[in-house]
Amino acid sequence: MSIALKELLYKMADDQLILGHRNSEWTGMGPLLEEDIAFSSMAQDKVGQSLALYTLLNQLGESDPDTIAFTRNANQFHNCVLVELPNQEYDFSLIRHFLFDTAEALRFEMLTRSSYEPLAQLATKIRGELRYHTLHANTWIKQLGSATPESIGRLQKSLDYAIPYALGIFEASPHEDDLIKSGVFEGEQKLKEKWMAKVESIITQTSLHLPDWNLAQPLFGGRQGKHSEHLQPLLDEMSEVFKIDPTAEW
Amino acid sequence: MASLDPRVNRLPAIAESVSPKAPLDQFGTFEVFVQPKEGKPFQHEGIVHAPNLEMAYVLAKEAFTRRFTCTTLYVVDTREVFASPMTEGEKNSYDFIEDVPAEGGAKVSFEIYHLTKRGKQHMHVGSVKAGSPREAMVLAKVKFNTSKVVYNVWAIESDKIRFTSEEEKELWLTLPEKKFRDASDYKGGDKLKDFLERQN
Repeated sequence: MSIALKELLYKMADDQLILGHRNSEWTGMGPLLEEDIAFSSMAQDKVGQSLALYTLLNQLGESDPDTIAFTRNANQFHNCVLVELPNQEYDFSLIRHFLFDTAEALRFEMLTRSSYEPLAQLATKIRGELRYHTLHANTWIKQLGSATPESIGRLQKSLDYAIPYALGIFEASPHEDDLIKSGVFEGEQKLKEKWMAKVESIITQTSLHLPDWNLAQPLFGGRQGKHSEHLQPLLDEMSEVFKIDPTAEW
Repeated sequence: MASLDPRVNRLPAIAESVSPKAPLDQFGTFEVFVQPKEGKPFQHEGIVHAPNLEMAYVLAKEAFTRRFTCTTLYVVDTREVFASPMTEGEKNSYDFIEDVPAEGGAKVSFEIYHLTKRGKQHMHVGSVKAGSPREAMVLAKVKFNTSKVVYNVWAIESDKIRFTSEEEKELWLTLPEKKFRDASDYKGGDKLKDFLERQN
């Protein structure tokens, strides 16, 4: 059970850390001041959530959070590929934020019922942050997804590009049955079904279109350490100060 | 001949006929009110730019409540805020509001705000039922005008405000733990002192 639980915690923590770092790259460059602040705050929330999950791993016998976060190579990370992709234009960052945070909010909502009590407590504690993240994402998608031909066209292009990667969030764990039987987590398949329903409920309020789910091919690999060429440069940059001086404070 | 300065070349051409003035390509403003603690009055904190009320709510949350603890906030379109004359010294703004006969027709709720210190924020003092912002001011004069000088009064129709629902109050659940966002938490002076001591 310990291996299955650790694998779940690692992939969740890595997702939050990598996307938190990616989204923080918008700091100072957001499309308007208020949005710059909001997106940066949410990026900070994600890094904070990753710290909470790495702390749980530390309590289960893994290394301390800084060592876990800053000393692994790309093939030791378990995040889905979606979160490591470069930011590109803001339309892609918004679509990724919407697709990923919808899944993350649902995952943590399911985990409020987890038999692993520390995880259930964490999920309950951060529900307000997740509520804001999804409120923010849904409001932007509904706004730009119904605004002008340019905004609709750009979001649609990003949505089409991101969907196969988003389906990669739900890559099943080899320990899926253990997690479900022990009541730790209800499983990726159940999460995916909830996610598809939620994503549809927002997208149908816009001029955007979802692909046929039966034809969409998920891009897997991230959970097993198989990443795009974009992850290692991100890790190199993120760990630059730590590698020069592991005791540095700022 | 084109100018050698590219900024000059980017200037719009001189219009050949009379044309309507182009609107500014920017969002309108929305007023943000924050409640610092349960039971305390809401106070005006500032404005956000947004394309509509819901977007204003979403953007106001992080622009105004990402650091200091609070319980909740609400927003309203600036165009929905009706203000009395601004006064100074010992002049009370309520004295410049003329009594008008009560208006007939449907009454709606208006939220009333006072500015009692110049340079500070407008604070919520209560609500009245009125047929118009003007009538709301007159009723507020009867209900809220005490001996204290009020420099400015605002009246906002309650239904025009994007309030926070009971469920949404959890948006601020973890805010007390985010002290690291406060500049004083960086303890920059202590770090600099330590650094200088290490150099010696």
